[in-house]
Amino acid sequence: MAHQTAHHTETSHHAPVAEHVEEHTTTGINHRKLLMWVFLSSDCLFFGSLIATYMVYRGQSLVGPYPVDIIDVPITTISTFVLLCSSFAMVRALAATNEDRQGAILFWLLTTAFLGAIFIGFQVYEFNLFRAEGLRIDTNLFGSTFFTLTGFHGAHVTLGIVWLLGLAWIAKKGRLGPKTALDVELAGLYWHFVDIVWIVIFTLIYLIGGFDTGPAVDPSLVPHSITGFLGLI
Amino acid sequence: MSSDPGVHESRHPTLKQYVGIAIFLFVITIVEFVIILPQNFRGAGWTIAPLAILSAIKFAAVIFFYMHLKFDNRLLTWVFLGGLALGFAVVFALVGLFGTYTPSPRAWAQANAEPCLFDHDHGGCVDLAAAQRAAETETPETPAAEDAPPAEPSHTAPAPSGGLAAEGQALFTGRGVCITCHKIEGVEGAVGILGPDLTNVATVAETRQPGVSAEEYLVQSIVEPDAYIVDEYPAALMNATVAGLALTDAEVDALVAFLLEQK
Repeated sequence: MAHQTAHHTETSHHAPVAEHVEEHTTTGINHRKLLMWVFLSSDCLFFGSLIATYMVYRGQSLVGPYPVDIIDVPITTISTFVLLCSSFAMVRALAATNEDRQGAILFWLLTTAFLGAIFIGFQVYEFNLFRAEGLRIDTNLFGSTFFTLTGFHGAHVTLGIVWLLGLAWIAKKGRLGPKTALDVELAGLYWHFVDIVWIVIFTLIYLIGGFDTGPAVDPSLVPHSITGFLGLI
Repeated sequence: MSSDPGVHESRHPTLKQYVGIAIFLFVITIVEFVIILPQNFRGAGWTIAPLAILSAIKFAAVIFFYMHLKFDNRLLTWVFLGGLALGFAVVFALVGLFGTYTPSPRAWAQANAEPCLFDHDHGGCVDLAAAQRAAETETPETPAAEDAPPAEPSHTAPAPSGGLAAEGQALFTGRGVCITCHKIEGVEGAVGILGPDLTNVATVAETRQPGVSAEEYLVQSIVEPDAYIVDEYPAALMNATVAGLALTDAEVDALVAFLLEQK
């Protein structure tokens, strides 16, 4: 049966007509879709271990810069909004695909990729700023765990952008529509997953951990207004 | 199990619902941001629960609507939630094994870390006292001071008797920002740990340097902090603070009068 489905999936790309054939799977779920969900499920473990590592080493860095020294919450809140917007654009892309509105498919796919690229732009800016301020991946435990976790997330977003651009290229050729909507849907699932991972990272590293001082600095003595941009508010 | 055979038959939310969810996600993010806006709330322990709950709500909204788990085969929900539960298990296991659930620094880190707030404008460490002053000194909340310098016999500071000493105390807790780094038991807000404990400073000052009276020693310690650095305390920190204060001779006298009462 697995063989049958593999065959079906393989052909569906080239012969959209075959997409009409209802798949007979024991679960009643398209195999590609199930595979995507299993992958996302396993990615929870991947990010879970990186998040756990951040938590284990939180507040244990021996040298600065510590989070309170450089984390800039407002800037990252903006990039969080950008990523949320991209998720909305992604659902629009899928809706357009289901409704076979060719121009809209291309527009929303490119919008999603563009917003994702803006998010990555914020991240590149932030990484550069941190590096200039003395935080590198080998500076302290905060640097190691921060760059590893957010870096892997950024890599996920980047991969998503490449995927979306690939889809946009196919859409431009007019090959996306209701019959191949699953292609867009799978990319969408991946994209939204990257969004929810960011929801967790943003809360943990920025909103909760962003004001951590070094172990030897009494946090109650730290005037938080010195925290860069946030101090202006 | 096979109630929902085709992907195309899974119902998707309408545009209106999608817009509603987008607005909902925006609003929650704004609420999260507002929670950490007041300075006192930033990094406060109690903010963890509401922030975690709000992000869990966002998380659920995205997976159930944007990823339409709500409208899809139930099996997919279990597949994903199963992985998510395992992910949580990994977090709890690793944190339980190697860390603590309260993110307080471990003793070793506390003993070996740099007591420095990075100053990215000028490099080096931030002068905490000056920064605090710039932020319109508020009385710091009393932290658990278990790591304070060597405990000297506890006592309660006598209320300043003379006008000069009272003036000194006002300086000590106010413009002088001394309380940021120094502790005096019985003086409200004086709970700092970066500099020596001054609870019994008048007694200590007498014997600190042979041939130097308590008064002379205190004046020197304020005007020229680096002339004598008490063991294990950072040099230069107070020097920089005092330089920024531009204390007058009268103010120094008032401070000394106040400190001489701390026996």
